[in-house]
Amino acid sequence: MRESRLMLVQYVTAVLAVFLVSIHLFMQGVLNTYDTAISFNNILSVYQNGLYATFLEALLVVTLVHGFDGVRVILHEWRQTAPWSRWVDIGTILAIVISVGYGTRTVILAVLG
Amino acid sequence: MLSSTSKGAERAKNKRGIRGWINPYHYNLERWAYMFQRVTGVAILLYLLGHLGDTSFFVGGPTGTGPSPSGWSFIGSIFENPFGHLILVLLVLVLFFHGMNGIRLILAEFGLILKKPGAIEYPYEAKSLGLGQKYLFWLGLTVAVIGAVWAFMIIFEGWL
Repeated sequence: MRESRLMLVQYVTAVLAVFLVSIHLFMQGVLNTYDTAISFNNILSVYQNGLYATFLEALLVVTLVHGFDGVRVILHEWRQTAPWSRWVDIGTILAIVISVGYGTRTVILAVLG
Repeated sequence: MLSSTSKGAERAKNKRGIRGWINPYHYNLERWAYMFQRVTGVAILLYLLGHLGDTSFFVGGPTGTGPSPSGWSFIGSIFENPFGHLILVLLVLVLFFHGMNGIRLILAEFGLILKKPGAIEYPYEAKSLGLGQKYLFWLGLTVAVIGAVWAFMIIFEGWL
């Protein structure tokens, strides 16, 4: 993918992340007290609400793509040799796939409860 | 023409790399904003990876098979203390700054708040920080501090 297109991905995920993280903070910090927000039963009910589970999955994907793509940009800026660039891109994709996979596993296991 | 040795020296002098971020010598506001955006971004990503790890204990950790009260209380016994709470407050601080400053960067990227470039003249104020960008930077920092105070009051409620 062209770098300009990738930067667009970075900006779109940034805007989505601001929106989704704001909702997450609102749900966890405003609608609930801290102790309720982190209680086992409350979290279980959150995961088992289909809409909120989908929201958490979207939050997971958007923030991890944005975060790892940001690190990719930093690493590209740091060094500019062809092998380095190739490995940074491959490493970024691997990091996103592994971390999204691990987080999705948590969501699925909690949803299936 | 430069010899190959002096070319290398010239390249080394110009290549500041990541060390260049944390060298505050001759930094202007835009440069500080750039450095904070990257440092906070890396910090948030590290937290996010840790959060993936700790939330996985809700289903028993890496080898778990479903919701696990014992796994969740195990992770709570590690992070539910003033140190863990302080990390959350600092997270809100950097998250709000990163988000607000990121919105400024996106608006600038699409030319919405970008001043026309001009000659570089003493006292070398960043020309690009026009059209309210400075205010947006300080607004971001203010919102971050207010957010951190809000988070502190919520998270440390039982301790105050």
